[in-house]
Amino acid sequence: MLNRLQLEYGFAGLVFLVGAIGLRGTVELETGWAADGPQAGFFPYRVSLILMAAAALVAFQAWRNRAALSQAVVVEAEGGGRVLRFALPVLGMVLVAQWLGLYLAMALYLLGTIRFTGKRPWGTALGVALGVTAITFVVFEKWFAVPLLKGPLEVMLGLG
Amino acid sequence: MLSNLDALMHGFSVALTAHHLMLMMAGVLLGVLVGVLPGLGAPNGVTLLLPLTFTMDPVSAIILLTSLYWGALFGGSTTSILFNIPGEPSSVATTFDGYPMARQGRASEALTLAFLSAGIGAMVGIVVITLLSSAVASFALRFGPPEYFAVYFLAFASFIAFGGGAPLKTIVSLGLGFGFGMMGMDTVSGSMRLTFDIPELIRGISFLVVVIGLFGLGELLLTIEEGPEFKGANGRLDPRAMLRALVSLPRYWVAVLRGSAVGVWMGITPGGPTAASFMSYGLARRMSRNGARFGQGEPEGVIAPETADHSAGTSAMLPMLALGIPGSATSAVMLGGLMIWGLNPGPMLFTEQRDFVWGMIASMYLGNVIGVVLALATVPLFAAMLSVSFSVIGPIIVTVCLVGAYTVAGAPFDLWLALVFGAAGFLMKKLDYPLAPLVLAMVIGDKAEDAFRQSMLLSNGSLGVLWSNPLVGTLSTLAVLFLLWPVMAALLGRHRTSRAMKLAQAENRA
Repeated sequence: MLNRLQLEYGFAGLVFLVGAIGLRGTVELETGWAADGPQAGFFPYRVSLILMAAAALVAFQAWRNRAALSQAVVVEAEGGGRVLRFALPVLGMVLVAQWLGLYLAMALYLLGTIRFTGKRPWGTALGVALGVTAITFVVFEKWFAVPLLKGPLEVMLGLG
Repeated sequence: MLSNLDALMHGFSVALTAHHLMLMMAGVLLGVLVGVLPGLGAPNGVTLLLPLTFTMDPVSAIILLTSLYWGALFGGSTTSILFNIPGEPSSVATTFDGYPMARQGRASEALTLAFLSAGIGAMVGIVVITLLSSAVASFALRFGPPEYFAVYFLAFASFIAFGGGAPLKTIVSLGLGFGFGMMGMDTVSGSMRLTFDIPELIRGISFLVVVIGLFGLGELLLTIEEGPEFKGANGRLDPRAMLRALVSLPRYWVAVLRGSAVGVWMGITPGGPTAASFMSYGLARRMSRNGARFGQGEPEGVIAPETADHSAGTSAMLPMLALGIPGSATSAVMLGGLMIWGLNPGPMLFTEQRDFVWGMIASMYLGNVIGVVLALATVPLFAAMLSVSFSVIGPIIVTVCLVGAYTVAGAPFDLWLALVFGAAGFLMKKLDYPLAPLVLAMVIGDKAEDAFRQSMLLSNGSLGVLWSNPLVGTLSTLAVLFLLWPVMAALLGRHRTSRAMKLAQAENRA
């Protein structure tokens, strides 16, 4: 499946990219060293450069070790599949939460994953979904008075 | 020293109220729950609870959060021993001998030994805090911006030298932390930095959301990948075996002492509990007479990592309180909490907030005693709970994490951030990038930058101020040495390490 070498390269590339974006972000800032010491952009500029350099070095080290690293499998097909089946519904929940609110999103997410990914009976899935959502509502809205993200449904029910 | 005892007594008078005792019990119970569940650990347990404490008074809030931390440290061992699944990264070393003991039907003995030695380790850490913290703080009162910067610099550098990760990857982790910490308004000049004209980024990225992603969702993905199955041992405890374990504990005093010493050292320097428990286990295996039986259910192999784990967890509070520098990821989150509650972490706490400091220290004694008792008493409950399939618990943990991420600032955008950092945490863990430096850099990065820029204002932009007196000079020199440590070690010890590596490899193969 995915070996350690590919993953090392991939993440180092990502870090390099983050560094490059950071560097781009300091363009409008003063990055120098004035009479009163470093200016606002001084550290962001250098940290970005250090990140890019460190990422390049990590990739270089991985390249030097490529024989051993390419033998080491980090994500097996089976485990990777489990991770994807677990992560995609979470992505869905966040997407849905943006417009239907957190409560509805979490109820749908729990119902869906427990029923379909977990292959539990409808009763269990429905019970957990409604139970957890209701408890969350009571704890956050009533108990600690910390309002969570709400959508059109809560507004319609007069809870928003 | 005597004035410390006075202050401690005062602290007990603050901590010993019905309200605070209840908070301790609630905190410990929540902590054990968080510790037992894989994917929810101490750092993000504290993070999830933090937004709910914004309206509490600081003493109650810190008592609740620290108690949760103790509970989580205890809870992590329960699953390590019963199911061979560490509930916390810091209890990985406990699985090595704890699980074999459980397989041999000695689960009660292993759990009792683990919790008791953990409790003793915690006590050692707290005694060290009681005796040393105010001395360290009054010493630190003489610090100006250059000294502060030097201490921060030393903390970052010692991660690189002694943090246990590959130095380059520690640098990447620190750099990412600094970078994310810098986003938003610059505190010195007031200009916007790294916001890329995205309105959501103006208030910066909250380290709390990052912790929830890295330690919560990331950890959870790792657990899922391994395919967790909680089966085998049952959680029924046998009182007679527990008593036997209690009686046998004094025999292991050497392991307890060694573990506590390792833990206190690793907690005060930013090594943290995880590194401490591994180091203590390794030392015990090499030095103990029973070393050969390690890995096959040797009680000493449970005691050694547990003592170190807890003494590191408690003593990590010392630099946090006295200097404002956290010794572990969890104490970094608490430090952030202190700032949110309007306290200024650092030596001034000891003069300005006596109730807070000593109330917290006193509550650490009580909280850990409560922790030992509650952790033992709730083993059957949590063991039964874990036998509920992970396909139900896993999704619930996800919702708890996401709700927590939202409550940090009430921003829908933070849900996306939590996801991104969840994926990043998974990858970083896979590739052995250390996560604690990232959190540390995010929390104290801008304080370090402020201290540096203030020092430069004092000195008209000359770096010489970092060597302007013996104290700051020593700190700065040490920091530079630590920073260069990996290079020096590579140059000096190339020959020696390569031999040691070969030996270690041979040992692994055997």
